[in-house]
Amino acid sequence: MSTGGLLAAELRKTVTLPAAWAGIAVAVLGSIAITVLNALTTRSAIDAGTPERVANTSAFETAFAAMPLGTVGAVVLGVVVISSEYAANSTDAGGGRQITATLAAIPRRVSLLAAKATVLVLLVTAVAALTLPATAGIANAVIGGAATETVTPAQALVRGLGGTLYWTLTGLIAAAVTLLTRSGLIAPIVLIANSSVVSVSLLLTNLTPLAHWLPDLAGRRLFTGVDTVEGGLAAGPGALVMTAWTVLLLTVAAVVFRRRDA
Amino acid sequence: MLLIDQLVKRHGTRTVLDHVGFEARPGRVTAFLGANGAGKSSTLRILLGLDRPDGGTALVDGRPYRSLRDPLRTVGSMLDGSGAHRARTARDHLAWLARSNGIARRRVGEVLDQVGLASSAGVRVGRFSLGMGQRLGLAAALLGEPRALVLDEPVNGLDPEGIRWMRGLLRDQAAAGGTVLLSSHLMAEVADVADDLVVIAGGRIVRTGTLAELTAGYDRLEDAFFALTGGDEGAHR
Amino acid sequence: MAARAVAAELDKLRTLPVVAFTLIGTVVTAVVIAAALAASGAAAGAPSSVVELVLAAVPFVQVGIILLGVLPAGHEYDGRQIATTLVALPDRARSLAGKTTAAAAVVGVGAALSIGAAFATAAIATHVTDLTLTADRAPWRLTGAIAYLAVIGLLAHAVAVAVRHLVPALVAMLSLMVIISPVAAGLTEHARWLPDRAASQLYADTDAVLTAATGPLVALAWLAAIGTVGALRFIRLDP
Repeated sequence: MSTGGLLAAELRKTVTLPAAWAGIAVAVLGSIAITVLNALTTRSAIDAGTPERVANTSAFETAFAAMPLGTVGAVVLGVVVISSEYAANSTDAGGGRQITATLAAIPRRVSLLAAKATVLVLLVTAVAALTLPATAGIANAVIGGAATETVTPAQALVRGLGGTLYWTLTGLIAAAVTLLTRSGLIAPIVLIANSSVVSVSLLLTNLTPLAHWLPDLAGRRLFTGVDTVEGGLAAGPGALVMTAWTVLLLTVAAVVFRRRDA
Repeated sequence: MLLIDQLVKRHGTRTVLDHVGFEARPGRVTAFLGANGAGKSSTLRILLGLDRPDGGTALVDGRPYRSLRDPLRTVGSMLDGSGAHRARTARDHLAWLARSNGIARRRVGEVLDQVGLASSAGVRVGRFSLGMGQRLGLAAALLGEPRALVLDEPVNGLDPEGIRWMRGLLRDQAAAGGTVLLSSHLMAEVADVADDLVVIAGGRIVRTGTLAELTAGYDRLEDAFFALTGGDEGAHR
Repeated sequence: MAARAVAAELDKLRTLPVVAFTLIGTVVTAVVIAAALAASGAAAGAPSSVVELVLAAVPFVQVGIILLGVLPAGHEYDGRQIATTLVALPDRARSLAGKTTAAAAVVGVGAALSIGAAFATAAIATHVTDLTLTADRAPWRLTGAIAYLAVIGLLAHAVAVAVRHLVPALVAMLSLMVIISPVAAGLTEHARWLPDRAASQLYADTDAVLTAATGPLVALAWLAAIGTVGALRFIRLDP
């Protein structure tokens, strides 16, 4: 099968999964819902003359507060791309899983994994290209000129791209972890919990500065912009560290995938 | 005795079962014949209380399956493979099933022996082959020593020795006065084991009768089957 | 008769390896987090107490409890075991009652074990480290924390019954508890009506409106609402 054919096959396989659409819906609609709620709250605070009630009156910051939901969507997509292959369908005993058919059609496993990763990157990027302008637009429409925008368009673009990179890398890590564990449970637990305030990584930074080198914390600066946590890596080096983690995990997953029986 | 009467099932606007009715009597092996998607599994799922019909009734000894006390002691069934979670061992799967219907724990070892899985009792179901999964499904059906057996494609994935064993099992069950209802699309297998036949096509029963009645005038059951279902399917297309 | 349904469901949980792993993982998380909190408190020189350390570990422990709560119903839909279950126990209400009882048992055990482990760890850690101890206030909050975790676990069970898929139920519950709830709390004071915020009054009297009595009632209303949706789907719909 040609590279183009392989990509098309994997893309088709993924977009025909209801769970993939659930992930996309969480990212797009969830983010929009949070943004609407956030923007309305901010606007009413401004109109009531009490802007100090909300953390930030900037329309861009208001939209960006919904970023964690995009992370959830990316994790779901990353898990689904892999776990759908291992889910039992017609029978519960061996032989009923799609991975058998997939590997029969595409025996070159590393190419297969590369195609899956590419599809994932495409989907997450598409979700970001849809979500970020939509939420920023909504926040602007609701808050509009009522407050001064503190984020310049250039900064907004850089942080939007940074956020997209963070989502993409998180999705890829989710896929690698799911492939390694052959279970769709571990990646959501670790990645969703850690991307929130209930973050073990964040707690670890109190004990050792080395925790700032963990993938989720290294990439944190990519979209927070505001220093929510003292110390740690700046956006540029952080992105490099997170990318290195992603490459490492994908490589380990590829090696294991190539060696083990389906 | 299993009685299916005027069953109707719709999925959206599509009619899956259109007034399906027949009975499976004690002491006989009744085979339910039809192509893939003809409505065999839908009928059996309703009989076993899994799905609700949009009309009609399915009764086990005069009662709906859902009202049975300890149904596994009345009807043993197998639908589509083992029905076990991949991470559980065969023995553990049968153990919880036995517990749910108040069946003695010793039956677990007995049925594992009976279906030839004794040496794989501690293996997780996810590692089973298709045939082993099928055997585990059968073990679950036999667990409660039921008078009636309802089996969907029972020889699917079995090896020649397993198929012969299955034939003996079904004949023995009927000879002991039990009721056997099995669905299949394998004509040769059915011709070897069934007493009564029910032929379904496109969600409708096209013919019921004994094996002799249905094959009269044909060389083989297969020819009779295509003669019966061919016209009906043509009308649907 | 109902006892058989419960016994069968408990058998299922006992023989499902992921349940044991989750229980162990949750307890280990409780120990590690309590130790980490004590150590970071000592490093920062912030005074604390054993009870406060345990309570600070609750949001982390709840992640494990959520998985524990999702599994009893969710694993049925990971494959086709649900058909086997309903053929063995065709009375939907009884089947669901058995499953819910087993789920309550396993989340209850998980909650008690992890809070107990966190307490033991915190007690030891405060002796080992040079953490400045404040007086322990209201040790009853530890019981409240166990009750909170049990409510969250049952909520996860209700979501799994309603969603009828394992991973989607887990993702939905995790997103609600650790992402949407904190984000909403930062945006609006109405976030106090969310189930986890309301139930947290069982161990933290931080809210201006809800109390340790009314908070849990709000959470129980959520549980009843989602549980009703789940039960109706379980009883009415074809599996």
